[in-house]
Amino acid sequence: MTSPTALRSSPVPPRGRIGQLRDRASGRHSPLRRLDWTLQIAVIALSILGGLLVWSATRHREGDSGADPQLFLKRHLLNLAIGLVLASVATVVDYRILRAYAPFVYLGSLVGLVAVLLVGSTINGAHSWIVLPAGFQLQPSEFAKVALIVGVAMILGEKHDDRDTGIRLNPGHWDVLLVLGLAGVPMLLIMMQPDFGTFMVFVFVILGMLAVSGAPSRWVIGLILLGVLFGGAILQFHLLKPYQEARLTEFVQSDQNASSTGYNVDQAMTAIANGGVTGRGLFHGTQTQGQFVPEQQTDFVFTVAGEELGFLGAGGVLLLLGLVLWRALATALDSGDSFGTMIATGVVCWFAFQMFVNIGMTLGIMPVTGLPLPFLSYGGSSMFANLLAVGLLQNVRLRARSDPYAL
Amino acid sequence: MRRQRSGDGSLDDRVGIRLVVLRVLVVSLLVTLGARLWALQVLNGEHYRRVAETNRVRDVVTPAPRGLIVDDRGRALVRNRTSLVISVNRSVTDRQKDSGRAVLERLSSVVGLPVADVAKRIQYCSATVKPPCWNGSPYQPVPVAKDVAPSQALAVIEHPDRFPGVSAELQAVREYPYGALAAHELGYLSPVTQEQLDSDGGRRGFHNNSLIGVAGLEDTYDSALRGADGVQRLEVDRFGRVAGTASSTAPRSGDNLVLSIDAGVQQAVEQTLQKTLDSLGGRARTASGVVLDARTGRVIAMASLPSYDPSVFVGGISGSDYQALSDPANGIPLLSRAYQGSSAPGSTFKAVSTTTVLTNLGASMTDDYDCGPSLQIGSQTFHNFEGSSAGPITLHQALVISCDVIFDKFAYDAWLADGGLRNGRGPYPAANEYFVKMARAMGFGSRTGVDLPGEAAGSVVGRDGAKAIWTQLKDSYCRRAQNGYPEVADPAKAERFRQYAAEACVDGYLYNGGAATQFAIGQGQYLSVSPLQLAVAYAAIANGGTVYQPTLAKAVISPDGTGVMPITPKIVGRLPTAPEALAYIRAALHGVTSEGGGTAAGVFADWPNDTIPIAGKTGTAEVEGARDTSWFASFAPANDPQFVVVVTIPDSGTGAEYAAPAVKAIYQSIYGIGRDPALPGGVPPADLPKVEQDGTFTPVGAPPDQAAVPSTTPSGAGSAAGGAAAAAFTLTPGLAATGVAAVRALAGGVAVAGVRGEPAAVDSGRAQARARAPARAPVERGPP
Repeated sequence: MTSPTALRSSPVPPRGRIGQLRDRASGRHSPLRRLDWTLQIAVIALSILGGLLVWSATRHREGDSGADPQLFLKRHLLNLAIGLVLASVATVVDYRILRAYAPFVYLGSLVGLVAVLLVGSTINGAHSWIVLPAGFQLQPSEFAKVALIVGVAMILGEKHDDRDTGIRLNPGHWDVLLVLGLAGVPMLLIMMQPDFGTFMVFVFVILGMLAVSGAPSRWVIGLILLGVLFGGAILQFHLLKPYQEARLTEFVQSDQNASSTGYNVDQAMTAIANGGVTGRGLFHGTQTQGQFVPEQQTDFVFTVAGEELGFLGAGGVLLLLGLVLWRALATALDSGDSFGTMIATGVVCWFAFQMFVNIGMTLGIMPVTGLPLPFLSYGGSSMFANLLAVGLLQNVRLRARSDPYAL
Repeated sequence: MRRQRSGDGSLDDRVGIRLVVLRVLVVSLLVTLGARLWALQVLNGEHYRRVAETNRVRDVVTPAPRGLIVDDRGRALVRNRTSLVISVNRSVTDRQKDSGRAVLERLSSVVGLPVADVAKRIQYCSATVKPPCWNGSPYQPVPVAKDVAPSQALAVIEHPDRFPGVSAELQAVREYPYGALAAHELGYLSPVTQEQLDSDGGRRGFHNNSLIGVAGLEDTYDSALRGADGVQRLEVDRFGRVAGTASSTAPRSGDNLVLSIDAGVQQAVEQTLQKTLDSLGGRARTASGVVLDARTGRVIAMASLPSYDPSVFVGGISGSDYQALSDPANGIPLLSRAYQGSSAPGSTFKAVSTTTVLTNLGASMTDDYDCGPSLQIGSQTFHNFEGSSAGPITLHQALVISCDVIFDKFAYDAWLADGGLRNGRGPYPAANEYFVKMARAMGFGSRTGVDLPGEAAGSVVGRDGAKAIWTQLKDSYCRRAQNGYPEVADPAKAERFRQYAAEACVDGYLYNGGAATQFAIGQGQYLSVSPLQLAVAYAAIANGGTVYQPTLAKAVISPDGTGVMPITPKIVGRLPTAPEALAYIRAALHGVTSEGGGTAAGVFADWPNDTIPIAGKTGTAEVEGARDTSWFASFAPANDPQFVVVVTIPDSGTGAEYAAPAVKAIYQSIYGIGRDPALPGGVPPADLPKVEQDGTFTPVGAPPDQAAVPSTTPSGAGSAAGGAAAAAFTLTPGLAATGVAAVRALAGGVAVAGVRGEPAAVDSGRAQARARAPARAPVERGPP
């Protein structure tokens, strides 16, 4: 008995098509009611708050150059709207159907990553963007994150659901190798951009998904050891770009001022500390309004919250982000099948790593990597990918709860 | 079929447990961020909030107009003049598409400087970028051309479209109406150094590019003259664009300094010294003179040649100019020999020795002492000057004719009474050393404390001091005893030096009778005085025994004239001598210029002795390898002394030949004998000059010859701006900068080569060299 049929096996007697739809929409088991509204509201709240922060950080700069001061606010909200449509699609299409399309999603992401290497533009040292007409840019590596999670979930979730025997099997050595092979190709392409931050997101997503999947422990431990050795070798033999290495060593030595990286962190910390407990008030942060923090609407958007909303506001942002992660983890636990669990786990690992690195960077406890803060940072590709992931979470939750026999 | 949960639970548990671990991990990450956020925002955000404040606020400094320095009559010796300065505001030009290159090119053709020069002037100073560069705030316009013509300023002002970020302003710079007059005493300004900024800590209100007094009175009274700079705190964004004004304080003009220096007397001294040097035909290149008020210790004139025009420091002195001013080949014009140099005083010191013998050695004012042709002390024979003999004479006559032998004898006897060489077994009682002690009581051997930096202390070396010096130099003596003086061309001389060194190596620690007798007649290696010290000592003899700490400043007066802080010379000591003894010495010194046989009687033969009796003493100090140093120390009127005048001319001849005539010429100028008097009535003005409403001084009792002196009204310099430019500028009398145009009226705030004068260092080096001179050049027995 597969879920698509379960979806239609409503106990309510047939009452005509319109009535059915209304019942489905308002009934106890209706998909709309079964959506994770806590998650959804938290995400939308974060995104709108992000819009305000982005607006605050950019209104002077845009105004000064004669552009619309609200340009970034409008675009951020537009991105949110488009992202919500994408999320709806990702929610409505049953993820178990999605599983069938996973190979195409994966291949599509590879095409994007190759394309960026061929026709992409370099911004801040990374060759990560495809510039589109009308001032839009596409960052394929953001979508590759979603594709990777779906692809890996497909492999690691497959073995769990042996429909014939009903016995769940943990992923074996071959599965792990397949996952590594599958992830290795996009990771190599991302390293060629080079985008160290996204690379590390992939590393932690794979590690987290493997660990949770029940794959042999020695694989997980071995991969961590390998990563440590690899990291040491990178620093030892200078395999990173100088600016990347500078960011890392800058961070390790916690020695500021001299380079631009130190300047970024210094300005970011100054802005956040300037907020104090209650903040300077939206649009009244002196660091923010004086445009002292570079890249403030994207990677350093948290500093706007820190300065203008203070500890209360920034702490609130942390709580909202924590709520998103918490609901995603609940989805992973409650999901009926391994594929859903894997997807939710991957999303949790992705969001958690990116949040920690991004906010940690603005607080001076993590090195500077070009990772945006989910939902808050300005950036279309990132917003779309994040909301697609949220859509997948809703999808998993919807299908898990939709089975009346599951509980 | 959802059977996993009920079916094979163990597998689910494994996944479940790992998900719980992941949940714990996520929570701990969030807690970490929250804790860090708390630490940064709540616990110790204070540091960062200060950083944020300085990030945001930029200070634009409006330099306060520096106070005037005026003489005893209110004639400005240093004042401010307005200068049209073209400045470039880099926070504007840098934002242009070509970083302001085109503007600079247009500007270079206006001011007539190569564009590379203009670009150099506006670059920011750093460890690698050396002057010319700008060490001020990036938010302050950088001056690129000063003293430009009004037409050039208008070319900039009238075309803001072609010259964005370029402005023409009136700025205040130091001006010296009397040129080089009293340059050593007035001093000069120099841009503040980074070290000074760092060590200041904001106490003295220095700002980047502040000008501070680094020599002379500009240094000593810097805090009074400086005033307080106005500071406009501008709120800016990261690109330096001004968003608003956080706070603003207006500049407070510096206080004015009134000196006891009289420009007329000062001119007389400098001209006299110059004439004397001219008459020597370039043989002697240095000369110095001091005029003191004997009754108050105030300095009325003090001069040293060669001198320099302090205006070379305005707007920054070039490296080569500074080099020239500190080059020994040019006589180190920066060094004032009147108070920063010292040498043996010759027989002028006999006035001090006479005080000693009358005070401490029980000498009689009436008895005769034998002024024989020579005095035998051990193996040495001390001759009178040119072996002359006067027979038995009184101390009065001994001073008049400058008899050495009488003072030699007193000193030798005192030395014997102190235990002679003290070569045997001790312990000896403490030596009396009366001559040394009297010298110290008169202020020799230590700084007078005059209100000028870098004063020389000179040296008065007693028995202990001699031993200390010997301990330092013993090795060098002994090496010389071994190796001789191969660099000395004359073999006989070299051998003489070597013998001296050989003796010094063995028993140089012994304070021998020869040293004691030489000291008493102002010769030898153990006595070195500055002309200012000698003047202070003669003032003490003249005024009845009061030793003053001399001062040049008479009062600090607020810009509007309401606040007056008088400066009175301190009394630092009184001579332990009976008034009768001092009167006796004064009479004897009068005899020097008025009695037959007096060493200066010939010079003063035509002097109106009845009306203005002069007392004085000649001195001739012999210097190894050079001609004699000519001294004359004097006071007048001898019966009721008002002025002390000391002149010394190294490398010239005897005191009577050069110094005494110079002193006479100075008195002629003071009293107006054969010319207009510099000080009518023979007294310095008692009252302070008055400050007018426009902040200038009204010259009090100015003698007619001062009519030629340029006006002291600074606003008069505004005419430089021309009628056409006047419309574009706000001319503020006295540069009490309040208007926008005057906001950046920098007191000479032009970025300059940071060459700084340190005459004090030069001096102390020289003083040390002098103290050690005996090591290589033993001083021979010289004529009195």
